[in-house]
Amino acid sequence: MKIPRMPPDSIQRVVHVDQGAGVQDPETQKPDTQDPSTRARPARALAHGSLRTTFMDLIGRPPFAREYEKWLGLGRDKLLDDLLGGEEFWGHWWSEQLYYFLLVDNFQPVARATKEIPGKLAEGRMDYRTALHRIALTSSFDQRNPGADTFVTVVMEQFCGLVVQKNRRDLESGKRAYDGGKGNFLGTLVNNQSEVIEVCVNHSKASKHYLEREYRRLMHGEPDSKVLANQARRLHRDTWKYLATTRDWLLSEEYSQRLERLEPKSNTLFLKGLFVDLLDRLPTEDELEPMRTALDGLADPRPLRSVVVRLLLDSGRAKIPEKAAITDPTRWVAQKFQRFLGREASPDELRVFVGIFHAEDCRPETILYAFLSHPEYQNY
Amino acid sequence: METFNLHRRSLIRGAALGAAGALSPALAGAHLLPLQKGRKTKRVVLVALAGGVRTRETFGTPENIPNMRQMADEGVLYTNVATANLGHFGATMSIFTGISEPRGIRENARGEDPTLFEYLRKGLGMPKEDIWVTTTGGAQQVNYSYSVHPEYGSKYGANILDGEGIFNAEFKQLLDTWGMPKSMGDKEKALLDQLRKGVGGGVDAVREAERLARVEEYILKELTQGTTDITGAAAGDRKALRLARNLLSLFRPKVVGVVLQNADVAHGSYNAYAEVVRQNDAAIGELVSAIREDEELAASTAVIVLPEFGRDRDLNSRRGLDHGDGSPDLRRVTCLAWGPDFKRGVEIDSQQRTTDVVGTVCELFGTTAPLTRGGRLRGLYS
Repeated sequence: MKIPRMPPDSIQRVVHVDQGAGVQDPETQKPDTQDPSTRARPARALAHGSLRTTFMDLIGRPPFAREYEKWLGLGRDKLLDDLLGGEEFWGHWWSEQLYYFLLVDNFQPVARATKEIPGKLAEGRMDYRTALHRIALTSSFDQRNPGADTFVTVVMEQFCGLVVQKNRRDLESGKRAYDGGKGNFLGTLVNNQSEVIEVCVNHSKASKHYLEREYRRLMHGEPDSKVLANQARRLHRDTWKYLATTRDWLLSEEYSQRLERLEPKSNTLFLKGLFVDLLDRLPTEDELEPMRTALDGLADPRPLRSVVVRLLLDSGRAKIPEKAAITDPTRWVAQKFQRFLGREASPDELRVFVGIFHAEDCRPETILYAFLSHPEYQNY
Repeated sequence: METFNLHRRSLIRGAALGAAGALSPALAGAHLLPLQKGRKTKRVVLVALAGGVRTRETFGTPENIPNMRQMADEGVLYTNVATANLGHFGATMSIFTGISEPRGIRENARGEDPTLFEYLRKGLGMPKEDIWVTTTGGAQQVNYSYSVHPEYGSKYGANILDGEGIFNAEFKQLLDTWGMPKSMGDKEKALLDQLRKGVGGGVDAVREAERLARVEEYILKELTQGTTDITGAAAGDRKALRLARNLLSLFRPKVVGVVLQNADVAHGSYNAYAEVVRQNDAAIGELVSAIREDEELAASTAVIVLPEFGRDRDLNSRRGLDHGDGSPDLRRVTCLAWGPDFKRGVEIDSQQRTTDVVGTVCELFGTTAPLTRGGRLRGLYS
């Protein structure tokens, strides 16, 4: 579902909250060596919304508090220089790939060599195709896809995007090879399970299928087929072109349009975002996995997401100020709109929130719960 | 309370139905139409044994399934139900859509064809609370709740609960570590409603929040009632069936779907698979006992049980059973239908299809499934 973000010019009056380096309140300008009106604004300057969204699309979490201070007002290209290809980028990429192959919970690969793969990708010692190949060679992948029919079907569908019902001959050849026989599989003679995997991973259709699903994952839309075909050909010749292709996507007009609309958060993204927004840290593996598994267990996870929000708010571990310590409720509420929803509050919203804040039975947790259980927070 | 007495079994051959079909079209069609007036069925429980289960290990080995055997003696047993090996996800989806379409075996996306739940909700205006699906678990299974068809979709979807995903020891431990959420007083709830309206939600947001709060309360309650303590063989399946039983007792929904999966351990072990079959039967027996013990449920609830496909004829090299040999053991399954409007003690061996279930359930409720390609289970009604 495509939800348009509230366009800034629909808000009659916008309250800017001074964040330090970046957004300035024109009425309370700090003394500076240069008149800000003469300073060129970077192209695609990052605002709260675009900063949050780009972080979440690239590395699967919103910014920490210190990162808002660092990045607000700077250009998107600078952010990409920093995040693309880094450890968190590849760590997130790796999680997404494992999820795509449904190698989660009991099927998650645990071997040390496999766990080192995101690090090797970040160091430039491995390319994406080799990483995907390694996934298919894990015992987890084998256990997840038992039997010749299941295994070969999965490899054909998930690597090459093939419909096995339309490629029955190759399926049967692959199955023969799986069982130790010979077969002509996608134009190559294969003798065993390992060769079946190798053919699929290195097939030209695999490059295209991979790029298509990466585009959908990062851009939340459908690619232009001609442009993607060219990019896929380039990628097939040179697997190291993946990051450059991603950078082109994220600096494009299409991504600027994506930043103008809201997309639903996956359960993992919701949980990581909640921990970062409330606790300014990521969840540990022991915290994340059971929560994610539980949320994945509901077609509509909202009731359980709401339980998790209450869990964190009532736990005493989130740094929530006492009501009496919030001396400027307007500023506090406005910051929450920026932090949680990535936008400025409208005057009406501020009026309602600040009015209710002063009600006797309203706690700061009440306000936070309203934000974090709201439909808008379920998207980004 | 109405009791279902054991009747002498009668075998209806396909030829007899064929003979009925040789009469005028009106008369031939009449046996397919249920009695609309005076129908007793108000609820349906549809259990998909969606891990691949052969008839050999169920009705071919009655000592494995004493409860389902008893249900068969009190209902209708279809012994020749055709299916297609579309992978677990695709084949199970075909039960819920009535359309046998190839689906990616690991495809984790919603289908394009409306599900049974969407047909019922749209056709009859059923609220979401009236349709629940409990599953054993796995990322794909939430996709059964609704499709992306433009005329149906999420607004007509079912509630889905993954037994293993939510009600497990790890999540319960998390609650123990972080503490159970505190309940909110009425005054604070009223303020919360105002805040929700304030962030562009309006009255609809408040109503939706109330509905979600009821589900939230049920989940919290279930977490403390022992479902998380179920372990051992077929634990996931047993949780899904237990949840179905509790939901039926608490919310009295019109439709409860149950999607089981643990039988797929068969790939690695025939014995483990046979144990899953036995455990599933025991849990189905508990579900049916709960129905029998409740006067209202007993008089108004039908139960339909079927696998999405069978398994290979021969054991594999690991002494397990795969599903890819195209044999009759794979392509033919047995379907059980038990309920107050159905015939009793009848076995039908004329060919039916797993895709006939959607049309059958829709017809039971008095609506249609316009886009389904399946028919109806024939010879069902008394």
